[in-house]
This record gives sequence, structure tokens and C-alpha cells, in this order.
Amino acid sequence: MFELKKTLTYQGYILLWGQIRDFLITLGNIGCDFSRVLKYLLSLRVNIKETIEQSKRFAYDSLPISLTIVGMTSAIIAMQLAPELARQGGGDYTGTLSALVMIRELAPVMSGFAIISMVGSSFASEVASMSVTEQINAMRVLKVDPVEYLIVPRFVAGGLFMPVVFIVSATFGLICAGLVSNWCADLSLLNYITSLWHGLYIRDIFIALLKTSFFGATIALISCSCGYAARGGAKEVGLATTKAVVWSFLAIAFWDFVFASIFYL
Amino acid sequence: MTLEVKNLVKIFDGKKVLDNISFRVESGYTLGVIGFSGSGKSTLLKIISGILYEDEGEIITPKDSEIAMAFQYSALFDFLNVHDNIAFPLVERKDYRKKYSKEQISKIVSEKLKMVGLEGIEEKYPSELSGGMQKRVGFARAIVTNPNIILYDEPTAGLDPVTSTMIEDYIVRLKNELNASCVVVTHQLSTIKRAVDYVIMLYQGRIVFTGSVNELLSGRNEYAKQFVNASIHGPMNIATS
Ligand SMILES: Nc1ncnc2c1ncn2[C@@H]1O[C@H](COP(=O)(O)OP(=O)(O)OP(=O)(O)O)[C@@H](O)[C@H]1O
Ligand SMILES: [Mg+2]
Repeated sequence: MFELKKTLTYQGYILLWGQIRDFLITLGNIGCDFSRVLKYLLSLRVNIKETIEQSKRFAYDSLPISLTIVGMTSAIIAMQLAPELARQGGGDYTGTLSALVMIRELAPVMSGFAIISMVGSSFASEVASMSVTEQINAMRVLKVDPVEYLIVPRFVAGGLFMPVVFIVSATFGLICAGLVSNWCADLSLLNYITSLWHGLYIRDIFIALLKTSFFGATIALISCSCGYAARGGAKEVGLATTKAVVWSFLAIAFWDFVFASIFYL
Repeated sequence: MTLEVKNLVKIFDGKKVLDNISFRVESGYTLGVIGFSGSGKSTLLKIISGILYEDEGEIITPKDSEIAMAFQYSALFDFLNVHDNIAFPLVERKDYRKKYSKEQISKIVSEKLKMVGLEGIEEKYPSELSGGMQKRVGFARAIVTNPNIILYDEPTAGLDPVTSTMIEDYIVRLKNELNASCVVVTHQLSTIKRAVDYVIMLYQGRIVFTGSVNELLSGRNEYAKQFVNASIHGPMNIATS
């Protein structure tokens, strides 16, 4: 006998619909939380103490891994680029290229990834476990808005301190690239710095600062929002964290695309 | 402050967890809510405190009422120590911010801690406390703003008899001091006898008994009788609750 509910198409359709629904709900939650965060920001009601606390965490926690990732990536790129450029007589361009690549793309995106893995995931699991153990409910009964107390400070910390992390790790990355080109292609450091200067545009730096500020705020918002929506137990805390990480990656790719289209197209 | 619940209905996944619940608690009285595990007692308190929304019916409270709730599983903030947990509403609430100095807050906190029989644990974190101690800290946090509608979700579950008695006496004292309306969810007859004025009993989402503590204990109501005698046989069937 033909049973619609047992056909593969139907089951596939149900699965797909589940995914789409989940996507829309998450998007809705994030949008909803954002509008509430915005309300507090516009009325300048920001919990300073908590913001400082979260900023410390944001900048300090992610710096080691951010420096490592950005430093390594730039060293690797320099390692492959510098000898090739030197062979073709363009060794003087190593610094320029490094600066362009570093400031425009590598440092923002790589430090974004570092921050997602260090800070975003911890925001998400922290807020999610508060949600499943009713701490957020308790907060509401005590008439303290969890959005104001938990999300706004993290959002502000993200927006303000991701650019700082970016600047520090980009500088470190450029230093690494210089040392590596000196080491494996015998390019003099002075040459490297001069050519670096040519690739360093104020406009690029400002765009990157703005971009990383967007990255940081978005990572914080998404992480808190996914955690905030968690209900259930330990399993849901894990799911919320995974979701936060995946969505943050997507968001970074999205913002990067938007910024590139606006400023470099 | 009078608390009134009118024709309350709450549906979870198509199942009526609360079905047409109505009652009224005048100030200076304590209502006890009893019923099997899963009969919707915590859900009822969560709706009154505004954590969950009702599907039908309404909760009527005066405008200037201040609702507090002591949670079944304490719900302490695990990132704050005991002092900061209890001080939380005084520090973070809009209408309390900057009202008290640090010293005043510390004084209030140790006062409240003393009331629930705990002293000198201000610096400890919730994970360093026993379940019963956590419960009492949660209790202290709930009442730190002098509420006038107080909801207790199993305040004495998991406590030794002496501490239970202390908490029960405290519930009564606080009610009288603040002239509050209280709702106490409990499984313990001792708590009902000491701290409660009248009782409703929930079964399958409905109220199956309303009356004074004496009426509950008299055994005239079949449901009440089964509960008080802790009997397996009677109108209520655990498996279908
Ligand atoms: N968030 C929820 N989603 C779906 N069902 C729920 C939810 N919360 C509670 N329920 C269901 O509602 C019913 C009542 O739950 P509730 O926690 O109010 O019981 P209770 O009377 O407090 O029990 P206990 O004495 O064990 O604390 C249970 O059947 C439970 O499965
Ligand atoms: Mg309960």
C-alpha cells in the first residue's frame, strides 16, 4: 500500500523544511535580540561595569590565539611569496603585498576566526547554560533585563575591542612576514619596511577597523542570541554553541563580502 | 497585595498542563499548592511571576505589586559569589541603582543571610555550597527587595527538619512583616501545617481540592485523603498524572 509519510521524497521534504524553519527561527531570534540591544544603545543605557568586564575578556582571551593564527598565516604566505618575488626581480614588492593582503583580508578574517573560537563559543555556552538552569528566568523575576545585563555589554565589548585585536595581530603579522622574507629570501628589513609603507593606505586601515568592529559586534550578538534561545539541558547547550560558531563564521563571510563590494568594487 | 488568578489555561505541546485554574490570595495569607510531580505547580508559579505566558485567563495583581520567586532549583547566578547573588537586584535593578552604598548593601546581605540561617559565606560561590544552602541563598535573594507577593517553589524540599522549620517560621514572619500574599508549592505536610493558611490541590491540571489545612487533613475529600495518607489507591492514578 502506498503511504505518503514513508516515501523518501516526503521524508526529505520534512527534513529540509525542518532546516529552513530552524534557519528562519534563528535569524528571527538574532534580529529580535538586535533590535532590543539597539533600543538600549540608543537610549545610552549601557552597564559600564559589565562592559569593562567583558571587554577585558574579549581582548585579553583572544589575543594569544589571534596573534598565533595571524602570525603563522602571514609567515607562511611570506615564505611562499618572497622567494618567488625575489626570483622574478620583484622582491621589493613583498612588503607592499603583505600589507595589502594583511590589512584588507587576512588579519580581519583570521582574528575574527580566532575570536569566534575563543570568545564567541564561550559567550554562547555561558549564556546557554544560564538559560537552561533558569538563571535568566531568575534575572527576569528580579526585574533585571537579561538583554541589558548580558547581551548589551558583550555587544559593545565586541564592537570596541575586535578592532584592537585586529590592529595588534596585523602589526604582529607584518613583523612576522618581514622576518620570514628576510630569512628565506634575503630581503633586507629596511627594504621590506619601505615597501610596506607603499602598501599601507589609511583608507584600508579605516575600512578594516570598521569591518572588524562589525565582526566583533556580530560575533557577540550571534553567540549571545543562540545561547539565549537555548532550552533544555546539556545537549542543547552544546547545540547552541555549535550553532553560534557556524552562524558567526557565516556572518563574517557575509560582512566581508558586503564590505568588499561597497569599498573595493 | 491581592493576587488573583482567573481561569488560567496553559498548554504545552497540545496538552493542557493547567486547565481553568482560579484562586485568590489576599494580603497576609499564604496559599499552599500541592499535587503530584508534574501536575503543573511550577508552571503555575512561572506564569504568575511572568516567566511564562498564559494561553487563556489572566493574572491580576495591583500595579505597585512586587513579585518575588524562590526557585525550585535555586537558580543562583553561578558566576557571582553569594554576596553578589543576593545583592544582585539592589545593584542592577534600575529603581535600586545607587540607592544604597556598598556598606549598606553588605549589611542588608548579611542580615538576609542570617535570617535563612547562613553566616559568613558571602565570599563563596554557589558551586561550593550544598543543595540546601543554595536553596536558602536563593530564598534570601528573592526577598531582598521586600516583595509583597512571594512565590516559593518547594522551599523546604531537601532540607533537614530543623532547617525546614526555620524556613517555615520565616515564611510566616515575612508574610506578616510585609503583609504579603504568598503562594507555597510544597510536598511536605509539615510545611503545610506550619506555614500555610489554605490549600489547593492540582491533579491533571485541574483543582481537585480547595480548603483550609484542617479540611485537607480531615479526610473528607477523597483526593486530599489520598495525598495526606500517601496512598497508592484512590481517585488519583500516578501513571496518568
Ligand atoms: N517548557 C516546557 N515545555 C513542555 N512541557 C513542559 C515545560 N515545562 C513543563 N512542562 C510539562 O508541564 C507539566 C508540569 O510541569 P511542572 O514543572 O509545572 O510540574 P510540577 O508540578 O512543578 O512538578 P514537580 O513537583 O516535579 O516539580 C509536566 O508534564 C511537564 O512535562
Ligand atoms: Mg516543580
